[in-house]
Amino acid sequence: MKGIVFTEFLELVEDKFGLEVVDKIIEQSDLSTGGAYTAVGTYEFAEMLSLLKHLSEHTQISIDDLLLVYAEHFFGVLVSSYPGLIDKYEDPIELLSSIEDHIHVEVRKIYPDAELPTFQQIEKTPTSLVLVYKSSRAMYNFGLGLMNKTFEHYNTKATILLEKIKPDGTEVKFSITID
Amino acid sequence: MSTTDPKLLRKALLREKSARKQAEKILEDKSRELYSLTQELQVVNEKLKAGLTETTSELKGLFENLVDAYVLMDVSGNIIKMNDAATELFGYNLKENKINVTELIHKDDFQYAMTSFQELIRKGSFSDYQARVYTKNKGVRTVHINASLILDKKNNPIAAQGIVRDITKKLELESDRKFLIKSLEKNNIELKNFAHIVSHDLKSPLRSINALVNWLREDYASVYDEAAEQTFDMLIKKVDQMDRLITGILKYSSIDKATYPKEHIDLNVVVNDIIDIIFIPNHVSVAIEGLLPVVKGDKFRLQQLFQNIMSNAVNYIEKEVGIVTVSVRELPEFWEFAITDNGKGISKKYQKKIFEIFQTLEDNERSTGIGLSIVKKVIDYYEGTIWIESEIGIGSTFYFTLKKDLK
Repeated sequence: MKGIVFTEFLELVEDKFGLEVVDKIIEQSDLSTGGAYTAVGTYEFAEMLSLLKHLSEHTQISIDDLLLVYAEHFFGVLVSSYPGLIDKYEDPIELLSSIEDHIHVEVRKIYPDAELPTFQQIEKTPTSLVLVYKSSRAMYNFGLGLMNKTFEHYNTKATILLEKIKPDGTEVKFSITID
Repeated sequence: MSTTDPKLLRKALLREKSARKQAEKILEDKSRELYSLTQELQVVNEKLKAGLTETTSELKGLFENLVDAYVLMDVSGNIIKMNDAATELFGYNLKENKINVTELIHKDDFQYAMTSFQELIRKGSFSDYQARVYTKNKGVRTVHINASLILDKKNNPIAAQGIVRDITKKLELESDRKFLIKSLEKNNIELKNFAHIVSHDLKSPLRSINALVNWLREDYASVYDEAAEQTFDMLIKKVDQMDRLITGILKYSSIDKATYPKEHIDLNVVVNDIIDIIFIPNHVSVAIEGLLPVVKGDKFRLQQLFQNIMSNAVNYIEKEVGIVTVSVRELPEFWEFAITDNGKGISKKYQKKIFEIFQTLEDNERSTGIGLSIVKKVIDYYEGTIWIESEIGIGSTFYFTLKKDLK
């Protein structure tokens, strides 16, 4: 998993809950680098899972909700780091339907070793989109958070329904309708 | 949110330091990777440059040395480049005149040129285009053009190039040749018909003369003396000789007229038949040495060939014992035959002449001078050659070849 996901996560934890919590979840997790992450590095996904688990235990907030909040924060990081990527699309439906065929293609050019989820497009109209998320990480809520912020970015409101195709969340259907 | 616990802060600081070192190491590795990649690229670039120079110089050589005219034009037909041959053909110098190819095309071929140009744009090339063009110094010339489009990276046409060959002279020669062949064919047919008709027409009055002379001789036999009888003999012999002459002409003119089926002919049979047919004086013997081959051809022509040479051989032997032999030698593509006699021989100066029609070496009643011309004609038909080795007083050998695999 890309280092920027770790560094932004720990910064957000520090911002919201303080350095003590950062220190605590790092101490509780078994981390190869002792919690030292750099945005340009690549780290085991298990470490992120462990950090999330301990943060959830500490805060009593579900991992799903934590991921949702983190994704909303992470959208801001993407906008400031890759403004060109977002501005390319005129509306949120266009952007979301381009994840698989365009955005991830670009990501692979910069990070050939990136392990990306797939978003299979099932249906598309100017005001609606049905995508199927597939990833062994089961971070569908991270996706949901990014989507929420996407609509917000374009000043659009939308209803996003999640439907787990597999109970463990490795395959999830997103039904998106603009209000 | 800030914290005052120095212990926590120190730990956070250590993490930051460790992260920085990681980042530095990653960046260092990346930088090294980039450096070696750059080195590789430089090598590749050098190679490419060298290759390009080579190609450019090859192309330049080709452009300059091309015997045909080379014309490069933009898509609107404005000529951008011409080689020396093109400058020579059209007579225009690009440095002095701006030329558009449409100005060079003959007005009657203009429509056709436009159609071909459309085809060039559509298909990317055309070949064997033929049209007339105006040139500055050489008037209207007919040219043959092969052309192709030059495309940019996005496959848009940016130019067109053509190889232009002046075929005016070639077309003229071709048409001259066609005309010549046609009139030759016509003449040939006329000649053959003429020979045939004339010989037929000559034969019937000749027969009448023969009959009339005989009647005269019989009816007035009582009046003629010995000398008159001799004159009658000579007269009839002359008429006979003329009859043979006419028969010879008929045969000669019919050699390439009739087409006979090609069969496998056993030359042993043919030659033995000839020995039976022709008159062989008692003091002469004819023998076949070895075995003659079976050849593909027609019996009539082959018989004419062998019979004419063999008759000549047996006829002119004055020695007490005359010997004529027929033999053969196999060559890769030909059979080489030899007919040898121990006759009086033919002197060098006549050895070529004897194959010409109506040439006889002596004033012999039996000789018409046609036989060897027929031989020559048959051998030509079989794509062979004939020659003589002869020595006066010793004898002659007629050599001739016949092609084995006749088309």
